[in-house]
Amino acid sequence: MLQQLTNLSDKELISRARKLKDQEAEGVLMERYSHLIVAVCLPYLNNGPGTAPEELYPTLLQRLSSSLKTQTISRTNEWIHYTIRAQQAKTDRNIPYFPTTESREQQLVEGQVEKAASNLKEQELLINKMQKALKELPAEDKYFLQKFYMEQRTFADLAEAKKISIEKARQRLQQAKQKMASLLMNETYE
Amino acid sequence: MSNLENNEKILKIFSNIRCLNRDQLPRYLDGRLTDVEKHLVEQHLVDCDLCFDALQVLQQQQHREKYLPMSAGMLQFIRNSIKKVSHIHKAERYHRQEQKRESFLIYFWGVATILIIAGGVYLVQQQSKYKATAMPRQLAQADGATVHSASTETIPVQAAVVTPVPPARHDSAVAQPKTEAAPPVTVPAAQKPAPKKDSLKAAPAKPAALVTKDSMKQPPAAKPVEPKIAPAAPVQKDTPAAITKPAPKTEVAAKKDADDEKEKPAPKPATTDINSTDEFLYKAAMVYHQQGDLNEAISRYKHLSGSPGRYGELSRYQLAVCYRSKGQTGKARRMFKEVVRMNGTMKEKAQQALDNL
Repeated sequence: MLQQLTNLSDKELISRARKLKDQEAEGVLMERYSHLIVAVCLPYLNNGPGTAPEELYPTLLQRLSSSLKTQTISRTNEWIHYTIRAQQAKTDRNIPYFPTTESREQQLVEGQVEKAASNLKEQELLINKMQKALKELPAEDKYFLQKFYMEQRTFADLAEAKKISIEKARQRLQQAKQKMASLLMNETYE
Repeated sequence: MSNLENNEKILKIFSNIRCLNRDQLPRYLDGRLTDVEKHLVEQHLVDCDLCFDALQVLQQQQHREKYLPMSAGMLQFIRNSIKKVSHIHKAERYHRQEQKRESFLIYFWGVATILIIAGGVYLVQQQSKYKATAMPRQLAQADGATVHSASTETIPVQAAVVTPVPPARHDSAVAQPKTEAAPPVTVPAAQKPAPKKDSLKAAPAKPAALVTKDSMKQPPAAKPVEPKIAPAAPVQKDTPAAITKPAPKTEVAAKKDADDEKEKPAPKPATTDINSTDEFLYKAAMVYHQQGDLNEAISRYKHLSGSPGRYGELSRYQLAVCYRSKGQTGKARRMFKEVVRMNGTMKEKAQQALDNL
């Protein structure tokens, strides 16, 4: 059973955990992200009361489990990240996770690309549209996107070329991508 | 070609890539990934804050040391909780299945027993019904066998005994005189010697009771007969042979009676009510007469003889017939004479009867 569950996607596991109240599916999902959760939480361990690893991780898992049953989760990694940050911030008010507009736009474009993968004509149309959007982007953003995606440069290369940190380079890329996604979405709405 | 490739590469910007797995994370940090793999990871890192944060944290040596044992511990913790849950889940599921199976079996056997019981009851009922129907048949068969073996004569006798009563009551006016006329002829034939022999011995006390006003006026020509002979008359009447034999003889008389009855109602429409009651009483008396109850018949005829109409005459005539069949020839003769004196429709017949006496 566990073997079968590990082959399922995040969405399927979440739906199983919700509809069938399958705790095994929930466990498999947590297991899939456990190493990332551990890594992200490491700097916050032993920082105060209730931050011992024996205490922090079970409570975090509990929180995730209860949140899983009530919230709409479009991207698992975003949801986990949000929940960890919320716990680390120790906010009294538990604001539920909700994907941002940017995130949703990106997701929609990702969906379009995935859909067009099986249809060449549709793919061609989408490529044209994306090229048009790319041209409309500011030169800086265009540069980052072209270098990273077309020329397959690494973060380190980009950071070095622009003389910025890797973190900054990633951030610029993220922003450029976000802009392009919103351009594409606005275009389709028009 | 390069343009085409570039075109396709543009799609990579929005391709969805999974988070770094347990294996990729340390390898990326160590720089042990291939160029393609590294590029894919970095493509994912552009969007994924979780993975990027994790990498940032793990780049610090102090955290890196803690990471591996803690990650393993976390994995174990989750697996244990799943196992426990899954074990409980499985146990519950098994238990539920068992319960379902048991309840199903209980229902099944319950239904089966109910069906069996119902079937049994039905069969028993059917059998009892069959027995109930079979028993009379067997009895009937047995009776039939004994009757047949005993005598074939009993059946016609039974039939003859049973049948005469109802038809006599429902018979039409035409049919009744035929049967009514039967005794006068047969009785004298059978019992002619009886009055001659027994008339001398007969007790004089009896006639006194039966004698009417008319009989007082007229001296008894012959003494009343013994009641011994009376039972003989009904037996003769009841047997079909006795009825069939006299039929041709009495046909003439019966026809006459019928004719009279047809004629009478026409001229007297006003007296229909009296006639109808008289007719009814007359018929009732006739029934007693036919059944052989002569005393009752005589009393009824006497009651009717006083009536002025045709039925008075008829009832006197029948009274005479009754006396004759009882063997009281004196009374019979007197009554016949009265009928003759009345000078009615029955005069001739009465005269004939007188001559025969």
